[in-house]
Order: sequence, then C-alpha cells, then structure tokens
Amino acid sequence: MLAKVWNYLGLALTYLRFNFKTHLEYRAAFISQILAMILNDCVWVLFWTQFFERFPVMHGWGATEVITMWAIAAAGIGIADTLCGNAAQLAALIARGDLDAWLLYPRRLLPHIVLGKMNASAFGDTLFGYAIYIAFVHPDLQHFLLFSALTVSVAFLFIGFNILVGSLGFFLGNAQSLAEHLRFALVTFSTYPAGLFDGPIRFLLYTLIPAAFVSYLPIEALKEMSLGVAALSLAGSIALTAVAALVFNYGLKHYESGNLLIMKG
Amino acid sequence: MNNLKKYWAVASISAKSNLAYVGEVGSRLVFLAIILYIFMRLWKVTYEHSGVQQLGGLTLPEMLWYLVLTESIIMSGPRVTQLVDEDVRTGALAVQLVRPLSYPLYRLFSTMGERSVRFVITFGAAASIALVLVGPAPNWHWHSLLFAITLPLAFILDFLGYFLVGLGAFWIEDTSGPMLIYSRLTMILGGMLLPLPLFPEWLQGPLHMLPFASVVYGPARMFVHPNQAECVQLLLNQFIWIAVFAVVVTAVYNIALRRISANGG
Amino acid sequence: MSLVGVEMNDAIRVSSLKKVFESVRHAGWLRTVKTEIVSVSEVNFSVPAGQSVAFIGPNGAGKSTTIKMLTGILRPTSGSASVLGLVPWEQRSKLAYDVGAVFGQRSQLWYHLPPNDTFELLSRIYNLDRKEYKARRDMLVERFGIGSFIDTPVRKLSLGQRMKAEVAASLLHKPKLLFLDEPTIGLDVNARQQLRDLIRQWNREEGLTVFLTSHDAGDIEHVAERVIVINEGTIVLDDSVKNVRTDFLGTKVLTVDFHEAPHSVPIRGVVELLRDGYKLKLEVDTSVVSIEAVITQVLSWGAVADLTIEDPPLEKVIAHIYSQHKEPAIQGQGSEVAVT
Repeated sequence: MLAKVWNYLGLALTYLRFNFKTHLEYRAAFISQILAMILNDCVWVLFWTQFFERFPVMHGWGATEVITMWAIAAAGIGIADTLCGNAAQLAALIARGDLDAWLLYPRRLLPHIVLGKMNASAFGDTLFGYAIYIAFVHPDLQHFLLFSALTVSVAFLFIGFNILVGSLGFFLGNAQSLAEHLRFALVTFSTYPAGLFDGPIRFLLYTLIPAAFVSYLPIEALKEMSLGVAALSLAGSIALTAVAALVFNYGLKHYESGNLLIMKG
Repeated sequence: MNNLKKYWAVASISAKSNLAYVGEVGSRLVFLAIILYIFMRLWKVTYEHSGVQQLGGLTLPEMLWYLVLTESIIMSGPRVTQLVDEDVRTGALAVQLVRPLSYPLYRLFSTMGERSVRFVITFGAAASIALVLVGPAPNWHWHSLLFAITLPLAFILDFLGYFLVGLGAFWIEDTSGPMLIYSRLTMILGGMLLPLPLFPEWLQGPLHMLPFASVVYGPARMFVHPNQAECVQLLLNQFIWIAVFAVVVTAVYNIALRRISANGG
Repeated sequence: MSLVGVEMNDAIRVSSLKKVFESVRHAGWLRTVKTEIVSVSEVNFSVPAGQSVAFIGPNGAGKSTTIKMLTGILRPTSGSASVLGLVPWEQRSKLAYDVGAVFGQRSQLWYHLPPNDTFELLSRIYNLDRKEYKARRDMLVERFGIGSFIDTPVRKLSLGQRMKAEVAASLLHKPKLLFLDEPTIGLDVNARQQLRDLIRQWNREEGLTVFLTSHDAGDIEHVAERVIVINEGTIVLDDSVKNVRTDFLGTKVLTVDFHEAPHSVPIRGVVELLRDGYKLKLEVDTSVVSIEAVITQVLSWGAVADLTIEDPPLEKVIAHIYSQHKEPAIQGQGSEVAVT
C-alpha cells in the first residue's frame, strides 16, 4: 500500500517536472501569467489594507487575520492548481470525451488524470500567499510550520472540490459552466471572513461551498495555535476529497456503461 | 457628415455582434450575485460596527449601488489593448491605413458600440441583484440624467488610456503586462471596491486628480449622489484628461506610423 | 467456453458481443422519448496472436464502440470478450500493460516537449525498469530512425516524423497487441509507406498482434493480412486480404491525361468511366487483363502527359460488398492463421 503511494508520488513529480518544462518553453507568457495573478492578488490585499486602516476591527478580526486568510487561500489554491491543475478541467475533459485516452493507461484514472496538467498562474498565487504571510504577519517558526501544513490541507480541499464539481459532467453531459460557477463561488467565499455571514449562508459555507474550511478554521487555528482546530480543518479536506473520489468513481461506472452518448463514429 | 455616418455604422455593427453574447449574461449574473451579496454583508457589518448611517458620504444602500455602478463600468470594458496589440502584430493596422477611416477613430467607435451593450447587460444584471438585496437606489430618476451625461466621456477617457498602452505593441514584445498594471491601477485608484473618500486624507487630493477617478469613481458617485456642481466639475476633469490623452495618443500614434512606413509594417 | 489451449493462442476472442445505447430525447415540454440504439449486435470473431487485422467500416458502424469494449473503456450490454486472456472491462489496468494504442488524430506526445520527454514519462507511467527502458528506447529509436529529432520539440516536427515517434512511443512498454486508428491520415506518400513498413515489420518479426482501423485502402493492403468489415453493428465480411483483393479489389482505376485527343480502342476487361477532352478514366478488371497490358495499349493511343493508377475507393469496395452479399457474414479462411 505504502509502496503504491510512493509510486504515485514519483509519478506526480515526473508530471510536475514536465509540466513545468512545458511552461518554460514559453517563458515570457509563463512569467506574465504569474505576474498577472500576483497583480490581481495585490488589488485585493491593497483593498483590505486600506479597509482596515479605516475600520480597524471587524467581528474580532483585524488586518493580520484577513491577511492570513488571503495567504492561506492563495497558497492553497496555488498548490492545488500547480499539482492537480487538471482537476479543474475535469468537466471539460468529460464533455470532450478526452477521458478515453487516459483510460488506456495502466493507472488508476483519478489520481493520474488530475496530475496531467499544471496551471501556470497558480505559481503566482503560491508565491504570493507565502510572501504576504511572511511579510505582513512575521510568523515565528511554529506558526510558519502550521501555516504550511494548513496550506496543504486547503490545497486538498480545493482539489477535492474541483473533482467533485467536475464529476457532475458524468451526470449532466456538459457541466463546464456549472463547475466554473461553483469553483468561483468557493474561491470567492474563501477570501472573505466567514464571520460576515450568518444563518443559512454560514451553514452553506460548512457544507456545499466549504469555504469556512479556508476562511475561518485555519485562521482560528493559527490565532490560537490550536492543533485541534487545525485537525478539524484537515478533517474537512479529507472528507471532501473522499466524497469527491466516491462520486467520481460512481460517475465513471456510468461513463463506462456508455450512458453518456459521446460516440465518435 | 459622411464620415460620421461611417463611424456610426461601425459602432452599430459592433454593438449588434455583441448582443450575441447572451450566454455571458448568465455568467455575469452569478459573478455579480456573489460579489454583491458578499459586499452587502461586509458593509452591513462595518456600518453596524461603526454605528453610523453614512460612510464616505454614502448610506448602506447607496454603498451597494455605488458598487453596482463601479462593477458595471469596469466589467463593461472591452479588450482594447489586446485588440490594438493584435492589429499591430498581424499588420491589420497597416491595412486599415489604406481605408478612408482613421484607425484610432475606427477603434474608438467600435469600442463604444461594444461597451454600450456590455454596460447595459452588466448594469441590468447587477441592478436587479441590488434591488433584491437593498431595494432601489434613492432618487433614482434624477440619477439617470446626470449620470448618463458623465458616462460617454468616461468611456472615451478609458478607451484612450488602453489604446495608448496598446500602441506599446510597436515597441515591446508583450503588452499584456502593462495592460494588466493599468487595469489594476484603474480598479484600485478608481475606487472600484472602496469609495475614494474612504482612503486616507492625504491621498484624497491626488486621487481625485488622476484620470481613474474620472472614469470609475466620478460617474458612480454621480449615480448615487447626483449633484449639479459636482457633475460640472467631473465633466471638466474628464474633458481635460481626454484632451491630455488625445494629445499624447496623437503624438505616439504618429511616431508609430512612421515606424510602419520605415519598416513596412 | 472453448478449450484452454485454443484460447491461449488467441490475442482476441469475441463472442456474441452486444452494445445497446439508450438515448433519451426531449419531445415537447414534458415527454421524453427513450430510444435504443443497437451499436454493436452480437459480434463474433477471434484473432490469433501475431495476426495483423484491419477492422473497417463506415462511420457509425460500431467500429469505435467495439474497440472501446476491447480496450475496456466501455462495458458491453451482453456477450463476452477476452483480450490477451483478460476481460477488458474488468481488468483494464492490467490489460493496459500489454496493449498499445496509436490514434492518428490524437497524439499522446506532449506538443511542446521533445519526444524523448514523453518517452521518459511513459516509462514512469508503465513502471518500466530503468535499464530495460533505456535499452528498449535506444532500439526503437534506431529501428524507427527517429534519432535525429528525438530531442526536438514535437511542434517543430513534420507529421511523418511525429507519427513515427508516436508509434515508437506506443511500443515502449513491449505490448503484445497494438491498436491503430487512422495512423497514416494526413501523411505524404513516403511517410505513409515508411510507417506501414515499420508496423508490418514489427508484426512479422516481433509477433506483435496488430488491430488496425483505417479508411485508407493502402493501409489495409500493406499492413493487414485479414480484413473484418463491420456495418450497422454486424460483421459483413471476415476474410484474408488476399481473397478480398481478388474478389473485391480486382479493379484498378487508370486516369490518363493526353496531349491530344486520344484514339482509343476498346479492350476486353476495360470500362471507360469518363472522357473529358484530353482526359480519360478507365476501370480495369485485373482478373481479365493485366494493368501492364492496358498501359502499353493506352500509351499507343496518343502522347501521354500524365498517368495515374489508383485503387477503387474503399467506400466503393464496401458498397460493392454489401450489394453482393446481403446474407450474414462470410467467413473466409481468416479465422485460422493465414499468411500472405
């Protein structure tokens, strides 16, 4: 079992290497995409810093907490899209019938296919996340380690979510727009303090659009240096990824019985 | 007079072809619904916390309608820089020189056509969401008039800025970097998310003098707080900036044209 | 259900394979209409190891569906299949280690990287032993003649070079069975012939079982020894290429452009298809008269500017097959090991 995990890790590294090499072929575009992402992130951070200059406290959160939230979200999304960029493409792959080519390989489809592509601009997000965390929050080693662990946990949350909404393609034929909207919702809500919302929306943020596992729990964990809360955050990620894998495999069975009429001659 | 007819034709063709993008409406609705909802919560909490009725001279409903306007203005912006960049690189610009239309004017009218349609669609979507969230904007009859007057010049000014960046294609490899910087500057310094009065005191003067304020903040404010004196001031600012940009664009454009004749395009 | 001994010799064994698709259409506001489309209807055949088979049919005939079932991508509605001793849709991963695939219209080579990088990636995907992989790769590079561009990004390669690298890539993991789908599409005459030769070589010398689909009659003639024709979900012909050639491909089309109006003389076994100014198109029945004899005669009809010899288009051949044989599948000697 462990040997298998090790094997897939090696495969992941190879994909990472070649994906990176592909992007380097178009160095200028790669760098400009990274820069674009960083610029985008800057707009938001500037907004928040100005906002907090004017309104120092909001629901017990200050600039530090908001910056931390942004850093974790950006880095988490960055890692997710760097490593498993193809997860975000799942709906498109299903709609185009591109799954077949991947099925011909002697590998479990899900872990293999998500590794297939790396999103270039995601690099910018990752760098940005870590940079602003270090620059604005000045963490000590303990906090930094916990932060890093949480970014990985958040990454898995996003990967799981991407797989889950992408899998809708198995049942809807073309779920590209829907998947995009849902992804946008998760990313956006992840960058606003969950404390802003109450009632049904709050509930939503712990379930269907699990942004609270990005925008609330990890920040509290870091604030209190609480491994318990961190574990809760991690639990959410694991649960989501597990559900996503189940849904995907169920959908794949559907696909294999050919109820998706994507026949090519 | 004949020339004007030609340009008008260009504008209306562009407008018609963009009506085909009805599919975009759905996407915009989702995007705007999420953003506006989140910001409504953010401002609600902030107003409550600060215990005031007005912030930056705006009440809560006005704040949200302000956002409706800034988002509609920003999101309606067509890809002027990219189009100019393409035209330069593919040689289409050189081809245009043969026709009895001035290229900048051609681009201007085509942009206006496209932008008008996009603005109406985006504003329609955003306004309907705002209606649900905070009700109608106060005094909205009055707004339509004053605000409508300030919009055309705002669009023209915005066009000139991006057109200038696009002309950079004559000299640099990739204009997407400068374009992104310019657009992010417009967002931040134009007060897309945070109305200018909420910025620090010392920035107020400079911010209001920059062209970005005349494109985004000015017209948006004119919608929520119609004021004849301010309207006149805004129009004046827009006029001055258009004149400045027009001079610069003409100069740069002529230098660029000389490059074409020298290098053959 | 057959003797184990016989089964072991078969690379592919298909029995009563059937695939029915359900299509749900919206008719009007609330009604939905369910239609059943029988894509593959009780197909039977077996392919001995080391045979080279062309599997052809018009679009929508059930070709892709059958291949998808053989590779394990699709589950059949009923029936059974055994590929290299495994049930494809139940042991897809395991089977994948011994099966290779080449698609003319979709590449597995990474576009922006040199073929060598894709080879490297494949060695990882297939868990190939490092040393063995290197030796195998070097051998393939030499045999396929791709050494000069193995380190050039694929986007800079010509289609012919790309397809050679593509086929080489598909053989890296030493598959026993190779599926090819339109491998020569878009290639120029030279490249096409080279690729066909390589595939044929591999089939003859290494005992690689080849399963080819193509719309190109030349592919079939030069690569395959057996032809299976499928139409509307059933097999309508299963015979050796040799027999099909004599029975159905017994004609050649001769197009001649003259410098002047030709003085033609009727020849037995030759039908004039078209006469247009200085151009003449003849259909030659090669079982009646040899093509050389016809050409010799034609050359005496006037000064010749250009002369082309072509096989009748495959569609015509297939149409011919249907019009002649409306009965169930003709089993030629294709089922046993036939050597041309």
